[in-house]
Amino acid sequence: MSRKRALIADTFCLTKRRRCAADSVTDGAADIRSSLQYLMTLFSRKLFNDSLPPVVLKHQLYSLHNDKTSVDKQVNELRENGDLLMFQLGFDSEAFALVFAEDYRTKVLQGEAGRETLGTVEKFLAKLIPGCSDLSFNKEKMLKEFLFTDPAITQLVKSGVLTVRDAGSWWLSIPNSGKFIKYFIKGRKAVLGMVKKSKYGEILKTELEGHHTTSQVKFQMKYHIHEIMGAELVESIQTTSGTLLRYVDGNVN
Amino acid sequence: MLSFLYARQSGLDDPVRLRRAESTRRVLSLELNHNRDVDRIHGNGINTLDTEVIDGRYMLSGGSDGVIVIYDLENNSKKPQYTCKAICTVGRSVCRHVHKFSVETVQWYPHDTGMFVSSSFDKTMKVWDTETLKPAEEFQFDGNVYCHHMSPVARKQSLVAGVFSDQTKPSACEMVNVSLTGHRGEILSVRWSPRYDHILATASTDSRVRIWDVRRASGSLFTLDQHNGDKSKASSEAVNTAHNGRVNGLCFTADGLHLLSTGTDDRMRLWNSGTGENTLVNYGKVVNESRKGLKFTVSRGCSPEFVFVPCGSSVAVYGLHSGELITMLRGHYNNVDCCEFHPDYQELYSGGKDCNILAWVPVLRQPGIEDDETNSKRGGTQAAINPAFEDAWSSDED
Repeated sequence: MSRKRALIADTFCLTKRRRCAADSVTDGAADIRSSLQYLMTLFSRKLFNDSLPPVVLKHQLYSLHNDKTSVDKQVNELRENGDLLMFQLGFDSEAFALVFAEDYRTKVLQGEAGRETLGTVEKFLAKLIPGCSDLSFNKEKMLKEFLFTDPAITQLVKSGVLTVRDAGSWWLSIPNSGKFIKYFIKGRKAVLGMVKKSKYGEILKTELEGHHTTSQVKFQMKYHIHEIMGAELVESIQTTSGTLLRYVDGNVN
Repeated sequence: MLSFLYARQSGLDDPVRLRRAESTRRVLSLELNHNRDVDRIHGNGINTLDTEVIDGRYMLSGGSDGVIVIYDLENNSKKPQYTCKAICTVGRSVCRHVHKFSVETVQWYPHDTGMFVSSSFDKTMKVWDTETLKPAEEFQFDGNVYCHHMSPVARKQSLVAGVFSDQTKPSACEMVNVSLTGHRGEILSVRWSPRYDHILATASTDSRVRIWDVRRASGSLFTLDQHNGDKSKASSEAVNTAHNGRVNGLCFTADGLHLLSTGTDDRMRLWNSGTGENTLVNYGKVVNESRKGLKFTVSRGCSPEFVFVPCGSSVAVYGLHSGELITMLRGHYNNVDCCEFHPDYQELYSGGKDCNILAWVPVLRQPGIEDDETNSKRGGTQAAINPAFEDAWSSDED
């Protein structure tokens, strides 16, 4: 009801809209960056012995902001500027991981220190970070635009920066992210199971955050909760006692 | 509201502005109406609804039992409690030309109510004469006809586009002897553009949506690509597809400039129909489990336009360009299959597997409840006085 009333007021009261329009536009970009930073703090670094940069999933942002279209637009802007990198994780065609470019660079170089692939990886990162915002690369691009040779490409795949997509093309990836994806999928399944097993298949968000984590759940509960809310695997309903999460039937997981 | 009326009267505002603002307000207050009922004739689910364009008075419905019913939507009785009566039925016992299997699509002839076209899973498409309720023309196909559509703007020739599934040939969109090939899977939905009478869009199970120009029946004009040509985003099989699953619903906006498509990957996408570009409006998860075509509709004449999509057993209302979910209209007992918007009264009719057609009517401004209560306390003999004019210091007992 209240949503409808707010929208009607907009249509009929034009003066109010003109005054607030100016503020909301500038707030937008700063908001996404601060939400990203908040979500990065929820990522548990110690779990991976500090070898991974903090990773956030794009749909976690949808749980923090109402307007999905503007979130998408701002994420794309940050990517164009070269501040943010986006990766395609293998398990879902719609799930994208976001990492700040600086964090990615430091972690990858830290992981490569002392190995013979260091030089090639540095060259690749130098080409990638300011200019290119692609998620995958095919052979012609690597050979002609980036001027890499075949053995150099093999070195990049060995170091984990590229993963095979199909014959002659590669996804951009985060080195050592296999463990991350494994723990992530297990944790997501466990958290969804917790929501499903609760009475009536629904649980208050604050209650779920306070739940003790089973051995399956390696990440923080809040990280998983933002993720399942943003991916709409649970329905979030506003109640007088806070947000209620209700399990949605028909999930594949 | 008064400012809008004054602005219109003094010429400050365009007359359309008041109409749009009021239409939007009415659509936002859509609710299931207890007073309005539609006669329940179908014994099985309702697959399709269509309201005629001329008066907006008569509605056609086609059901899974092969029955077609025509309803009169106008309220001629003076009472608010009204049932939309079924005027005539093409039923199993009554008519021997009735379809044998489920009727998938019905549509009135766009220029008058003299005839309508229906297509069904019994592999035929029939053109009916409304007066006699006999088919004037019958087309036989080789496969189940999933959907058909007649161009709403064609003046010179009326073409009907029908799509069907066929085991032997790759699917084609057939119109009065012209066959358009190009899709690699069954075509589930077809729509003519309301802006140009030669542009046609088709959606199929091979995850692609193609736009055709019927004047050159050689190949499609273009395919809609969800990543807008950014080949790096998709996995290699999914390059150049509109959705990551079957595409089963299509709808043009009223001005024909945008096209909406829904797919079984639980996504709805808005495309620019001129360039084929994905406008990247994110509607979130639009639950879609339908194995055949989904019929959804867009509002006409409102200022932010709304999309009404059947989602499971309710109808979801989204803002067209903003992508936000405005509300869910709940009322059906089972899956909703089709919905139809009435632009003149801003009403929505939806039909589904529970054999009901529900009418969603805007809630009018309620009269003040406080006046009635104080009235009954005083015995109801005096007329209701506006509390602003009541004096608080005089007492009746003096």
